[in-house]
Amino acid sequence: MSLKRILSTALLSIVLVCTIPVVDQAARTAIASEKQETALSMTIDTKKLSGINLVIARMYNEDRVLYAAMVTIVMAVLGTVLAFLTDLVLKALGLEVSRISHRE
Amino acid sequence: MDFINIHLPVAGIEFSAVLLVLIGFCVGVLGGFFGVGGGWMITPALNIFGFHMAFAIGTPLANIFGQSIGAVRKHNRMGNIDWKLGLISIITSVIGVEIGSRVILAMEQAGDVGVIVRWCYFFLLAFLGAYMMYDYFVVHPRVMKLMDEQASNSSGGNGSAVPKLSDKLHKLNIPPMISFPASGIDGVSLWILLLVFLLTGFLSGFMGVGGGFVILPVLVYLIGLPTTIAVGTSLVTVLFTAAYGCFTYSLKGRVEMVAAVIMLAGASIGAQIGATAVKYIKGYGIRLLFAVMIIFAGFSVLTEQFYKATGKPLFQTFAGIVLMGTAIAMSSLIIGKLVIEERNNRRMGR
Repeated sequence: MSLKRILSTALLSIVLVCTIPVVDQAARTAIASEKQETALSMTIDTKKLSGINLVIARMYNEDRVLYAAMVTIVMAVLGTVLAFLTDLVLKALGLEVSRISHRE
Repeated sequence: MDFINIHLPVAGIEFSAVLLVLIGFCVGVLGGFFGVGGGWMITPALNIFGFHMAFAIGTPLANIFGQSIGAVRKHNRMGNIDWKLGLISIITSVIGVEIGSRVILAMEQAGDVGVIVRWCYFFLLAFLGAYMMYDYFVVHPRVMKLMDEQASNSSGGNGSAVPKLSDKLHKLNIPPMISFPASGIDGVSLWILLLVFLLTGFLSGFMGVGGGFVILPVLVYLIGLPTTIAVGTSLVTVLFTAAYGCFTYSLKGRVEMVAAVIMLAGASIGAQIGATAVKYIKGYGIRLLFAVMIIFAGFSVLTEQFYKATGKPLFQTFAGIVLMGTAIAMSSLIIGKLVIEERNNRRMGR
């Protein structure tokens, strides 16, 4: 019973802490929401950019096919690697999965 | 308070990295657990928090693609995927999506269809949520009671005296009939499958959503899949449609790559946790949580409708908070259940 209480308190705390950035961003957006949504520019101004942001912006401006291929490949590779790493952590915590019975 | 604001080069805005990870994590948990993409949550959330609508539609698809890879792998290991059915679903749904999007384009030429689409979206979510609630609180207890009675009479029944919608569809003998051993389905007409998936695809294309939230109830109630297999099979459809969406939207310059990568950091972890949680929660528990989630999603669509009608940004902000609040609460509930069940298992020495 006490474990449940600890867990529910912890969960409530997580929910409350997680809500802070949401409310913060919502408040700032609400303040700025009076201005109309501007027309979408399909070219990025690279003057103020540097590093990886500059590389991405140049690719976006100059070769859209390459940009699309890069986004797709990066998401696939990163998704696989992160899933693999998370799986290792979950296994270490004893949360390994195997074939389950499909009970309703 | 600035929660580690970063510059997003493609969208050209400053955005909180913590919020991106948080959105990704919550969507990951829900996606891995329910077999949905979660675009219905990310798109309005990003838009409300400052993304241009074009990027708010395209960026989630890249994130959903990345997060679904690990979740599909995990569901496959648990035996939760019917690949044969998934393949039929993907092919037929794509045709439905194309028809739905063409219908909406034709309607757009006649005027603003946003109001009609949002109302359709709201009624669909409300109907699905209400039906699943009815099934959980009315039909399921009736079946359980009947099973208990049959067991006490030693007649060896399995509650089949209560007819299910899927059983009625399985009885329609229109050749060719296909069996799905992985899902425990002996025979269902191919025409029924094509019609059902064409309809779900049409709804996705018409409303501009991924469709995972329509596919899951359809697989459970119309095709008759066990809930956990429906979750895994739905995820396969989501993975392939999101991969296609990620590439085409990037090609059109509508994907903010930096935001998608940051969201994926949270989403990949969340999706693994969500998929693992399926092991601990019974099928009907998943259905109940799903019903609650889509009812809240419907409520936020209704609030968005008020915003469009009145022009007051307060409604839009409220809709975003409802969506994010639901996602955070639901993810916390799933993780909490996972922790409690695992703890109980260890205590019982399983």
